[in-house]
Amino acid sequence: MATIVGGFVVPHNPVMYFNPKGASAEQSATVYAAYARMAERIRELRADTAIIIGCDHYILFGTEALPPYVISTGEIEGPVDQLPGIKRAPIASNAALGAHIAAVGRQTGFDWTVGRAMQVDHSIGIPHHLMIKPNEGMTTVAVMLACGVDPYLPMARAWQIGEHIAAAVESDGTDQRVVVIGSGGISHHVGNERMGEVNPTFDRKVLDIVARGDREAMLALTDEEILQEGGNGAMEIRTYACAMAATRAAGGEVVAYEPIEGWVTGMGFAELKVAA
Amino acid sequence: MSRNSLEKVLYDLSTSGANKKLFAADPDKFLGRYQLDVEEKTLVRDYRVRDLADRGVNTMLTWGFWLQAGKSNSDYMKIMKREEA
Repeated sequence: MATIVGGFVVPHNPVMYFNPKGASAEQSATVYAAYARMAERIRELRADTAIIIGCDHYILFGTEALPPYVISTGEIEGPVDQLPGIKRAPIASNAALGAHIAAVGRQTGFDWTVGRAMQVDHSIGIPHHLMIKPNEGMTTVAVMLACGVDPYLPMARAWQIGEHIAAAVESDGTDQRVVVIGSGGISHHVGNERMGEVNPTFDRKVLDIVARGDREAMLALTDEEILQEGGNGAMEIRTYACAMAATRAAGGEVVAYEPIEGWVTGMGFAELKVAA
Repeated sequence: MSRNSLEKVLYDLSTSGANKKLFAADPDKFLGRYQLDVEEKTLVRDYRVRDLADRGVNTMLTWGFWLQAGKSNSDYMKIMKREEA
């Protein structure tokens, strides 16, 4: 039986690559140290593979078809939106695990859109680069949730998908060790007149919910509240809900938090416990 | 027509270098491929990102559309805040 041995929520902010000096040296050091600590934790957990839960930014999927949730079942390549220091390249894929989750889903009410030769954006590319790539030999399953383009995946559905991922992993016949990573910024406004506003009060509320493993509080966050208090970018916390559910909502520990206006984002990091 | 075709234009321009070249060379010809009325074509051709956003176009697209043309982020923010650019 495969086992989910750990979980994390982290940001995937491309601005820290395009405008590194937008953060103070102290803030930047805190952020990169948090990623490094999580990469080390993944090594300590002896993980074989990571399920990275990201979200499209109107980069991968266009108006022709906007899938609510997608999983990689073959090769992965990216990020298609290359960053300074993170070039588009093949990402070692765990195609078998992705295909297994998709197959289980088809039997249990989760009709995944599958990426058989999947391209990913920076929401997968950044955590992969900073947390997975340093751990030689690890593979990745990429999951994309509709967080950036409406119709948004409902928060409750993101949670259900996380529970489904947990059950599907447990039913896999291998003995591999899996970590799940919810990839998204907390407060940030992308492309609108409020871009640059960060809301530490909202950010800490979200991180407190994550740390408590509080399903009810997470599902009580309405889209209206998220958009008003956190911004359109904060809709990405659906990935946190999915990761929380995949670790059976056992709570966790906030590793770092920095509100960085120059990087236009509330940057939060937490490690999730896994329910026994 | 709708924000859908506007978003399609901006998505196509944000994700394809070939489309960017075609648009830069002859905007009216390029925009003729899409189900847009005259006013909508003008909004795109003139980079009126505030007006596009007001019509419901996703601001991830308006921002990317602006930046891919080599325009400055500070001018973008002035326009989005309805200040003088």
